[in-house]
Amino acid sequence: MENASGNAVKMDQCIDRIFREVLENISSDNLMNSQTRNCLKMCPFSLLMMKIEKIVRIRVVPQFWSKFNNSINKDSKEGFQDFTDSVDELYENSKKFISVIDRLKESISCVHQNCEFKSDQLIKHVRHYIQGTILSQIPLQHTIIIEQFYKTAFNVFCNIEALQQPCDFPTNNELIICEGCKQEKKNCRCQVIVNIFHKTNEKLIDLGLLERLSGSVLTSLIHIRIKNYVFSVSCNSFNQSQIGNLEHWLDTVVMNWLVRIYTGGSSKMAGLPDKFRNAISTFKQKLSYFLYETYTRVRIQQLFNIILIFPDSQPALDDLRVCLKKNDLRKYLISNLQFNVKTRLLHPGVSTPDILTTYISAIKALRQLDPTCTLLEIITDPVKLYLRGREDTVRCVVSGLLNESNANNLANEIMRNKPINQDLSSSNDTAQKDSNNSTQTKKENWENWQPDLIDSENEFDLKPDLKSDLKSSLFGIYSKITPCKAEPNSAVISKNENSDLISMLVNVYGSQDLFVNEYRSLLADRLLSQLDFQTEKEYRQLQLLKERFGEQQLLSCEVMIKDLCDSQNINNNIHNDQTYMSHFKAFDTSALILSAQFWPPFKEDWKLELPAVVQQQLQKYVLAFESFKANRSICWKTHIGNVNLEIETQDRKLTLNVSPIHATIIIHFQDKNEWSLDQLSEVMHVPTTVLRRKIGYWVSQSLLIETSNDVFVLVDKLDPDNSKQFTDLTQNILEDDEDIDSAMASVSDQREEELQIFWSYIVGMLTNLDSMPLERIHQMLKMFASQGTGAVECSLAELRQFLDNKVKDHQLLYSSGLYKLPKS
Amino acid sequence: MKVTIKSWRGVATWRWVANDDNCGICRMPFDAACPDCKIPGDDCPLVWGQCSHCFHIHCIMKWLNSQQTSLLCPMCRQEWKFKE
Ligand SMILES: [Zn+2]
Ligand SMILES: [Zn+2]
Ligand SMILES: [Zn+2]
Repeated sequence: MENASGNAVKMDQCIDRIFREVLENISSDNLMNSQTRNCLKMCPFSLLMMKIEKIVRIRVVPQFWSKFNNSINKDSKEGFQDFTDSVDELYENSKKFISVIDRLKESISCVHQNCEFKSDQLIKHVRHYIQGTILSQIPLQHTIIIEQFYKTAFNVFCNIEALQQPCDFPTNNELIICEGCKQEKKNCRCQVIVNIFHKTNEKLIDLGLLERLSGSVLTSLIHIRIKNYVFSVSCNSFNQSQIGNLEHWLDTVVMNWLVRIYTGGSSKMAGLPDKFRNAISTFKQKLSYFLYETYTRVRIQQLFNIILIFPDSQPALDDLRVCLKKNDLRKYLISNLQFNVKTRLLHPGVSTPDILTTYISAIKALRQLDPTCTLLEIITDPVKLYLRGREDTVRCVVSGLLNESNANNLANEIMRNKPINQDLSSSNDTAQKDSNNSTQTKKENWENWQPDLIDSENEFDLKPDLKSDLKSSLFGIYSKITPCKAEPNSAVISKNENSDLISMLVNVYGSQDLFVNEYRSLLADRLLSQLDFQTEKEYRQLQLLKERFGEQQLLSCEVMIKDLCDSQNINNNIHNDQTYMSHFKAFDTSALILSAQFWPPFKEDWKLELPAVVQQQLQKYVLAFESFKANRSICWKTHIGNVNLEIETQDRKLTLNVSPIHATIIIHFQDKNEWSLDQLSEVMHVPTTVLRRKIGYWVSQSLLIETSNDVFVLVDKLDPDNSKQFTDLTQNILEDDEDIDSAMASVSDQREEELQIFWSYIVGMLTNLDSMPLERIHQMLKMFASQGTGAVECSLAELRQFLDNKVKDHQLLYSSGLYKLPKS
Repeated sequence: MKVTIKSWRGVATWRWVANDDNCGICRMPFDAACPDCKIPGDDCPLVWGQCSHCFHIHCIMKWLNSQQTSLLCPMCRQEWKFKE
């Protein structure tokens, strides 16, 4: 302070001297003037200006900046003080210049005709000169103490504001340190700081330096504040819209502060000159843009999570849609979401049902963001591609579609979207019963939603939120209404929604055929593993799929289910057949008789040889069938089926349901209590690898034990020491709980087989043309191999896969983009 | 140890006992339905002629209906007579 006051004294002296010098100069000039009026050398004001400019340049401005330079090690309290002092000093000095000008104006007036310093221009000129010089001498480090000044004040304001807000958290009143000024509470300087702050700003405004000196610092401080605030309100909460809140916050808290800066303390804008009002409103526009941009970026970064929990995140998504209209962050959105999808979704650690569920959510959510679906395609294309590469995708889709339990999310997702369709085909009596209850509810809802859904196609643009709200609430209601004869309207709606969802899933493949094929394999497995002739559920699901894919596609599935019904009929008839019944029956026999042409191909690398006693009994059944259905016969798939066994050992009695292979194994051990794997494999015609796995079941039942390598012995009586453990084991396993191997060849196996027909063509081509690229082979195949009925379509990708497998098997060579045959 | 089979639920495929796999008229397997039918077996049975050729009943009926003059077996050109 001493230094500052010393400076002030010096400055005063300095200015007095200028004044005197100018006056002297003028008087001598005037002498000359009286004689030769036209040769006045110097306008007195120009002279004054020159002197003032020099002082400003050499003394005032360097002095002003001097505190800014050495500010690196200062704390914010010192910085605050330094800035205040510097501004004060500058302000005082400029006042002095003005006063000296005023004094000069009183004592003299310029006689020049076109003096460039009309008296009212003088003050303006000094101001501009100070402003210009300040900026021209701006030091590198100048922002440090400016920041400290505004930060200190900002803290105080935030604290005051926080104290005024109704607080969610219990504030710690015991704090000794004031949150605002960081001083001990008893010495709180908050009010002092506020006062100084306003005074300083006022001076800066007066000097015309507020925006130039503090603008960028202010802006960055407010930006930080905006960022923090946006993060705090939108962090991990997706179920609330924040736009209104953010706008309000900007309008009140931030703008309040800004207005106070411009008014030097008042919160009212009314008294401000237009210049400042415009400045404030421009500032506000920029801040509002920044606020939206920040919020948009946050929501974009959260978009993957928003999709994961959609539709619970509907408010956040709505916000994002609004925000995207205000700025151009689509590219950022795309790259960010793509990155997240790639790193968080499309990797081996995520289960296929989870990927499918996310895929569906993404479709629903992104459609709302961008009704044109461009965004949707960009984002979901890699997902589709990835899903296509996963072996279990179709199976997951189908089982999700058919899974009636709420076991997984995908099933839930699907169930939520097919409330009525599925029940359409259910029995009529339940329908009658329930329709009475639901009519009332239906009617009320019907009145509400009908008008909105009529033009649902076009409405996406106009009122997306309204529509989706309606829809979700609608389906929420409908999914609770159990069977009823659907009114035409409701049927249409649920069908659209449902088929839409199925097409999303089928779209992953782009091919209905593949999807239907996989469904057929799945249905086959289910029917064969149940073997209880209960087909109601399957039939209902089939009806559901038929609505989507059409009768033709699913014809074979219908025959498959019909086979089960027919089989039951045949069994009943045979069991009433006197001839069959009068013969000795080794055991109760029934058969599931399949129409082979309509079932997926069976895996038949080997054919299980059944024990003689079983063969004889099954042959009797064949004869009975032949006499029941003229000109037809049946052929047993010996390894598929379900056998109920009663096993009695010296110390145990078990009743088990097992597969024919398991039954055959244990029956062989009844005849001979020790078998080597090879012997048994020979008798049963089953490969040793398969056999070993199946024997494992009996070992786990402690009926067999491996005494030496590949030699198994019957355990007719348990070792008393181990018996307890063994009986515990057997009680748990009442049924064959081994994972049921699919009896069907997988779809990709089937496809591989189909493609084999191309192989001879390819070999022919390569024999004649030596070597060819993939595309050429594909073209040639299209020309030669795809003619006639039953032509097999083959995509380029499939062909590549097929050829690459051939390369692996050393049937082909591949180098520098060309396939060729190995030299034999 | 004594193993008693209480019941055996097997799986079998049915087939027509015929001296060919495919219907000579529609070229479909006998065990599948003719092109006009959806469901094989009882709904689309086979019939035998005295010449011992057999066809889907719907296929031979269509064939016979399309013949202007004499009714011949499409395979051997002998006069078609249903085998009793
Ligand atoms: Zn035919
Ligand atoms: Zn037919
Ligand atoms: Zn014939």
